[in-house]
Amino acid sequence: MLMPKKVKHRKQHRGRRNGKAWRGSELKFGEFGLKVLEPAWITDRQIEASRVAMTRSIKRGGKIWIRLFPDKPITKKPAETRMGKGKGAPEGWVAVVRPGKILFEMEGVSEEIARQAMALAQHKLPAKTKFVSRAGAMLP
Amino acid sequence: MERPTIDGEIRNERGKNAARRARAAGRVPGVLYGAGGGTLALSLDPRQLIAALRTHGHNTIFDLRLKDGDSSPAMMVESQFEPVKGKLLHVDLKRIAMDRRLRVSVPVIVAGDAKGVKTQGGLMEVVLREVELECLPSDIPDQITVAVDDLELNQAVRISDLQNIIGEKAQLVGDPQAVVCHVVTPKAEIAAATEIVAEAPVEPEVIKKGKGAEEGAEAAEAGEKPEKKK
Repeated sequence: MLMPKKVKHRKQHRGRRNGKAWRGSELKFGEFGLKVLEPAWITDRQIEASRVAMTRSIKRGGKIWIRLFPDKPITKKPAETRMGKGKGAPEGWVAVVRPGKILFEMEGVSEEIARQAMALAQHKLPAKTKFVSRAGAMLP
Repeated sequence: MERPTIDGEIRNERGKNAARRARAAGRVPGVLYGAGGGTLALSLDPRQLIAALRTHGHNTIFDLRLKDGDSSPAMMVESQFEPVKGKLLHVDLKRIAMDRRLRVSVPVIVAGDAKGVKTQGGLMEVVLREVELECLPSDIPDQITVAVDDLELNQAVRISDLQNIIGEKAQLVGDPQAVVCHVVTPKAEIAAATEIVAEAPVEPEVIKKGKGAEEGAEAAEAGEKPEKKK
């Protein structure tokens, strides 16, 4: 599962998810990609599940790039605990994504296979996404 | 080839508010500079611009016709898009001196099925999708098409190999040994998710500031334990 090797602080504030992804919103490596359309926290498990689904779908045919990294620690209080007494214990990691961010890129497969693989990944993610390709870009 | 014509209007108002008003009116704000002339703030019709660039490629040189009758050859050197819907937000246009060599990025198109992919089980990886070259504005190619049918496993097309395709008129810029595309051995799939999920979650090392290396290591060990507060 993806997580940082070192962190400056074990716990973080929740933060805000306003705005759009002005960086990381264009295809840089592959021919096809998956773009997120709403703000979300994507967990390390969701990223891994998407990656595995895509890799198995394309078999040994192509290459996949993961363009997001879960670097935000998420804490949770134990069940049936009263409020207060400090912040909960770290439980997992999430990637904060804003609309427009490219989550995955793919190359070395046909568009049909890429669409099928990305559709499987879409089902594993907590936000609306759309399939994008270089051929469908507004400008050449 | 005849140059397409694009109409531009000079913008007298500046700033984000005026730019937003221009976008709301269906125009795209832009700026024109270069070739010894001054800088002009413009607004353009996005449909006209996109149609010209789609037909002739993103290095198209077009005649930019202003309302006062001035017309000069120009090309788009920078564009900004809205990240979700992909709407064109702003363009930078550069005046082109037709007798002066210029540097442009030209798309590389990989054509054909490589032997290394078809028969040897390799994976075609495109490393450079654009290459930079220097030439006269009239000699800019729309694209460079590389035939990779004979490419075998672990073989690569390098920038130096493209010089024959583009001919003498244009000169490639950059490292001649840089790889444009190659056929690589596909990597085996990393362990299945179920196995990874079964692992116990490990907390990362916490960086402590203002400590030496040894103290840092001690701090890292301490950092793994939950902090106690009174």
